[in-house]
Amino acid sequence: MRTRKNKSLYGIILMAILTLVVSACSNNGNSSPSPSASNTTPSASQPAESGQAKDGGSLIFAVASDPIVLNPNYAGDRVSLTIDQALFAPLFQVNNGQKTFYLADSLSLSEDGLTYTLKLKEGLTWHDGEKLTADDVVFTLEKILDESQNSFLRANFVIGGKPVQATKVDDTTVEFKLPQVSPAFEAALVQVFPIPKHIFENETNIEKSEKNKAPIGSGPFKFKEYKTGEYLTLERFDNYFGGKPHLDSVTYRVAKDTNAANLALQNGEINLKYLDPQDVATIQATNNFEILPYSEGRLGYMMFNQKSDTGVLNKKEVRQAIAYALNREELIQVAYTSLDYADPAKSFLTPDVLYQTNDVPTFDNDVAKAKELLQTAGVSNLKLRFIVQTGNKAQEAISLYVQQKLKDIGVTVELQSMDSSAWVAKFLDQKATDYELAVTGYIMSFDPDSYSILFSSDGSSNYSHYDNKQVDELFKQGAGEGDATKREGIYKQIQEIVADDAAIYPIAYTKTIVALDKRYGGTEEAVLKPVVVFEDLSKIYLK
Amino acid sequence: MRQLIVRRLLQTIPMLFFVSIACFAMIKFAPGDPVLSFVTPNMHAEDIERIRHNLGLDKPAYIQYFLWIKEALSGNLGYSLVNHQPVLDQILDRLPATAGLMGASIGLAVLLAIPLGLLAGANRNRWIDKLINLFSYVGISIPLFWLAILLIYFFSIKLSWLPSMGMRTIGVESALDVLKHGIMPCIVLAFGFLAIYVRYIRSSTIGQLKEDYVQIQYAFGSSKRVVLFRHVMKHVLLPVITLLGMSMGELVAGAIVTETVFSWPGIGSLGMTAVRGMDYPVIMGITLFSSVMLIFGNLAADILYGIADPRIQTKR
Repeated sequence: MRTRKNKSLYGIILMAILTLVVSACSNNGNSSPSPSASNTTPSASQPAESGQAKDGGSLIFAVASDPIVLNPNYAGDRVSLTIDQALFAPLFQVNNGQKTFYLADSLSLSEDGLTYTLKLKEGLTWHDGEKLTADDVVFTLEKILDESQNSFLRANFVIGGKPVQATKVDDTTVEFKLPQVSPAFEAALVQVFPIPKHIFENETNIEKSEKNKAPIGSGPFKFKEYKTGEYLTLERFDNYFGGKPHLDSVTYRVAKDTNAANLALQNGEINLKYLDPQDVATIQATNNFEILPYSEGRLGYMMFNQKSDTGVLNKKEVRQAIAYALNREELIQVAYTSLDYADPAKSFLTPDVLYQTNDVPTFDNDVAKAKELLQTAGVSNLKLRFIVQTGNKAQEAISLYVQQKLKDIGVTVELQSMDSSAWVAKFLDQKATDYELAVTGYIMSFDPDSYSILFSSDGSSNYSHYDNKQVDELFKQGAGEGDATKREGIYKQIQEIVADDAAIYPIAYTKTIVALDKRYGGTEEAVLKPVVVFEDLSKIYLK
Repeated sequence: MRQLIVRRLLQTIPMLFFVSIACFAMIKFAPGDPVLSFVTPNMHAEDIERIRHNLGLDKPAYIQYFLWIKEALSGNLGYSLVNHQPVLDQILDRLPATAGLMGASIGLAVLLAIPLGLLAGANRNRWIDKLINLFSYVGISIPLFWLAILLIYFFSIKLSWLPSMGMRTIGVESALDVLKHGIMPCIVLAFGFLAIYVRYIRSSTIGQLKEDYVQIQYAFGSSKRVVLFRHVMKHVLLPVITLLGMSMGELVAGAIVTETVFSWPGIGSLGMTAVRGMDYPVIMGITLFSSVMLIFGNLAADILYGIADPRIQTKR
């Protein structure tokens, strides 16, 4: 009897172990056969040997979720865009005003400003060895423009209601014919990462194509293995036109919980990870990581809903009074912990945008002036509703600060906390009239024309319902102005008017912070880049 | 017995139907819009509408529901709104990881709960009982994510014994490696149940010890250990089967937290991502899957109970 009981006990133990083993052996995800255990990542406890660039080794990058689609025509989420940056090479990139050519060798504009000629580099190849030619570029643009193909990029190539036309001149030359002069075209083209025609030409739905599961790109790393929910590994592409990448492989490891991922970073299971400002001190204390804060071209700002049912924010003086009640430096301290991680913002354009200037009217902390303006506007006992995303540390901190500071000028702020999806729905609902204030941010392109959708009275993303006919007119002029000096004047004027109107309250050009294991080098050559961390991952090496 | 199984199976049909309606309604009425997760400032309003139309989200809710149920009945749970992959494939991909974790956790919980519960019950109000009670109170009240972080801190960072995340070392295909990765998630998921089971077995043991058959065994000269593990345990274990069936729902909830913290690639973490992205078809698929698990878990418990104690059937 006792023996039988012991046996059943062992049976249960065996069952428990077996269930785990069964799950271990199951092959989940779309993985290709994996080679033998070859985790070349060194442990975090080893000190850096030297600063010399060496070949070999791997890098493990923590990502918050699985990629949605590994095709640059459809990637809209941070993870997919980041992986695509390593898999697919762009034509050229513009980062901090610096243009770097990748697949393209040159880009020139005709005198009439209507034709862009793109020259590709010679001898380009895809990861499968096929030649990358002008046909691929034309094919990519055609598929972006094809409405049935659902690309997010389409609207960028429809100018004045007409599509841009791409034609092949020869194997390495493509001509883009614009329906009208559009200096912002380069900002649209910079988002194009060619996809291979020979792979996708017979696909009816490229977005849902099975071929996106093992993508063929032209970037420094090629697809190797993907285990859904776990990790995605890329390996070095030896024929990369920019020179053989240093690292053997790069792995994007899915780490959903930030706290656990921070521990994994300290444990050496992850080498590169985004950090919240609040976590910097802990990671820095280990002395094993380089902390890299960099601008993502993002503006964090407080939005004034001019269309609220009370209509109070319709008056420019009221908006200016609110601005006068606040102190930008204090706000940054409260929301982002330090000026190291957020630069005070004055213009609605971020510093990486053409013609950006901070030389615009600001309404620096002046309580007396604020009260005076409210009096001029004939407003008293003002009550404002502030929508706040629950759990968003920066928003919560800012809203509490604003509530406190506006009390000083006799304005009551009622905080309305809501779940993040409810908040997003309310914020994006152009008809929402039941709130006045919200904190949000945007990342746009390097060309100021892209901001017209935010500040033109008929702009599709004009959530504050800002309405100034002069600004509308100037945006139209700026979009079609080919002369750079005149264009600069136009956008500087727009910045001044929008700032003086206090259309929004710009808080800071926020920075993104990443922690990179100190044993890796080449960060300067790889160039920190918004959203995707590194512009050219081939330059990162293990010291 | 056959009658019982058939009757219970038939009862599951309306149950699943109502669960699916309730779930669909709840997600529909929840604030948020799945299309908004794709929106970038550069997109035009007409692009957003085009995507909404292509995904069928511009149709009335009841039509969306019936289209879904029609497809679900033929075994097609639809496609994710976010990554356009078939929902069933995604669930099946993640199923082994979750099943392994759940199976191992339940096994571990039961295995530890039996001796601990019996010991506590047999030593009522003595130090060992108080210690086990304290342990189960902690188990019931401790948040799983906190326990998980604590374990990672000690076993991964301080001691470097166990990997802190994922299901395997990158590029390594070995069962032993997965076992190593599974230890902490398994302990965390088992912990909550262990505490509940211990308390249940303890009170059940106290009740059984008052029964006549126990006194008779003592009168025959059996030792306390023999009485406890040979006779009392048999009676105590029977209701544990029911408890196991009822644990299924909590198991799914626990798996969501555990899998998220440990980045364990199971259904729980898939569900978490789907909820964040308002990915209706995936949420529906996972809910349906969890409901089926709960219903069949209870059914299996009833059947096992019937087999273990034939008197049960006659009462039905």
